[in-house]
Amino acid sequence: MNNILLTNSPLLLLTQALSLLYLLTTGLYGAHFFGDIQFAKKYKQPSLVMTLLTHLVYLGLLTSIDGFRIGYSTFNIMTMVALTLTTTYFFIEFTTKNDKTGFFVLAFASGAQLLSSILTAQATGTSAAFSGIGIGVHLISSIFSFSAIAIAGLYSFLYLLLFRQIQRNRFELLFQRLPNLEVLERLTMHAVAFGFIFLSITLFAGVIELKANGGAIELMDIKVITLVIIWLFYGVSIFIRPLIGWDIKNMAYLFIILFVFITMLVTLMAIFSPTFHTAAP
Amino acid sequence: MNIISVGVNHKTAPIEIRERISLSEVQNKEFVTGLVSAGIAHEAMVLSTCNRTEIYVVPAMHEVTGEYLKDYIISFREAGKDVRPEHFFSRFYCGTARHLFEVSSAIDSLILGEGQILGQVKEAYRIAAEVQTAGILLTRLCHTAFSVAKKVKTRTKIMEGAVSVSYAAVELAQKIFSNLSMKKVLLVGAGETGELAAKHMFAKNARNIVITNRTRSKSEALAEELGTNQVLPYESYKEHLHEFDIIITAVSTKEYIISEAEMHAAMLKRRLKPVIILDLGLPRNVDPEVSKVQNMFLKDIDALKHIIDKNLERRSGELPKVHAIIDEELVAFGQWINTLKVRPTIVDLQSKFIEIKEKEIERYRHKVSEEELRRMEHLTDRIMKKILHHPIKMLKAPISTSDSMPSRVDLVRNVFDLEEPNQSH
Repeated sequence: MNNILLTNSPLLLLTQALSLLYLLTTGLYGAHFFGDIQFAKKYKQPSLVMTLLTHLVYLGLLTSIDGFRIGYSTFNIMTMVALTLTTTYFFIEFTTKNDKTGFFVLAFASGAQLLSSILTAQATGTSAAFSGIGIGVHLISSIFSFSAIAIAGLYSFLYLLLFRQIQRNRFELLFQRLPNLEVLERLTMHAVAFGFIFLSITLFAGVIELKANGGAIELMDIKVITLVIIWLFYGVSIFIRPLIGWDIKNMAYLFIILFVFITMLVTLMAIFSPTFHTAAP
Repeated sequence: MNIISVGVNHKTAPIEIRERISLSEVQNKEFVTGLVSAGIAHEAMVLSTCNRTEIYVVPAMHEVTGEYLKDYIISFREAGKDVRPEHFFSRFYCGTARHLFEVSSAIDSLILGEGQILGQVKEAYRIAAEVQTAGILLTRLCHTAFSVAKKVKTRTKIMEGAVSVSYAAVELAQKIFSNLSMKKVLLVGAGETGELAAKHMFAKNARNIVITNRTRSKSEALAEELGTNQVLPYESYKEHLHEFDIIITAVSTKEYIISEAEMHAAMLKRRLKPVIILDLGLPRNVDPEVSKVQNMFLKDIDALKHIIDKNLERRSGELPKVHAIIDEELVAFGQWINTLKVRPTIVDLQSKFIEIKEKEIERYRHKVSEEELRRMEHLTDRIMKKILHHPIKMLKAPISTSDSMPSRVDLVRNVFDLEEPNQSH
């Protein structure tokens, strides 16, 4: 079977260019955050916009192979994760006017895109694409859910980092550059709320699709179980704080654990079990 | 054409000496007008603050040197017994300009990047302008200094970050809470330190400030001054600890006024929502064990000094950028001074050409019509401008190493047969 990049040279070029753009944008955000370099400050936002636009063009070209339907494969999922993370961060930056956390989010997005590019180069043939609104909503919302989980995990990590810096009287770079604890807490909780909404949509669309297919999906599938557990955790954590005042630090630890867990799961499942869901016997 | 500056500041003399030399506004006016009216200086200005008294003079005589001015001010202040010329610094020409640029941009200040000095330089210039002792040179020098200070403020971070304990306390609170206007602040102790911290908090939009003090009248006075009018009795403020997000303590006491058990109980009541206690007392007011309470930030003066040290370190890191701005402006100022030196030659050159033109036009006045005369005038003006363009451009051009200003001026004066210039200011 042919590699899709070898038969499509514009796609090959865009795959490489996109990875480089992600690395460049992350580098610019990093240079501004750590080195306060004015050149990086000036060009990081245009670079972010350029990366997003290139990614959309890339996605259009990639899906055009199969009637603009996204296929379920590791490289497709990874590139969608990179795109949704970057899009979410783009909105955070432009709505909160705070550009100090870009490096941390974009570094993760770059990692996802880089992995996607490597896997695309190794892929043979096209992956199975899904048709129908239900499955499309299920897939897209699950990717947005993962991005929200990733952002909640990253902001929780930054929260704990700054918390410790202040407690230990280490008033250095992170103290100077990161947003304050309350902003980080708010960003985390917003990400959790969005994550919960998208997870709910994912589950709802999945159930509808399951009924439409006559129960063709195994309910004990590890992805389904994980999704339901995380959905429960997120739902509980949204309501537990206003109701009983759970410590934000404990919540931050939970979000980091969930993020690490699901990242590992998604990566491992994508590599070793490249099927959509386990089919029911 | 020289500019001399002499003075005492925190680098050259101890406070007792600075006090002896400092001038009030009235003395300042008397001093500068005296210098000018006695024919010692064409222009004069005095910058007198708590850290420095510096004189900026455009001398009117060759005898007026740095030493002359040092003796002059010592004798003016009748401080000969205590103050010696060695307590003074002196600078000349570009050195003076560089010094004033450094002073205005606050890199010569006791606290690097402090924000008051520019206003004080502006005030010194205002006084000199008011008594008409600031002429073209000092005016240009001061305005360039203001421009340097503005560039330094906008292009560098030399003025960023807290450098006082009370302001560092606010900076720290802002790193925990995003909006101080939504937070409830308790100030325990209405003394000078507490007052300053409360005022900084107020300046950062904290409006819900409650004050408690052993002497109730003092807390009431401060609450009224801040416009919050919220006072708690000193005997009962501990019952309300859980209501506050920020607690500032600045009382004189040998015993801790807040214990770990009290804060632990308060934290449980407020469902572990983060609290910052800023202990500005010396000896400390709050039991250090309080810092072990969950979600509690307890910061004493030493911790706040860490912030100040880091900020000063960062400000020092900005010095190369400030020096680059000063160097850039110094070159532009030097070039302007040079154009000042060639100005009489340019004026003479233009006058000579106008004179020639007018004589020649006069010869034809009755031989041609009005219209033709107007055209001839227009034509000669254009020719004159074109001929003069290059010599004037050459005179105004920056000096290179292979050239010098007097030789250029002499060349132009000889070529165009101009009379010797006057040596006046």
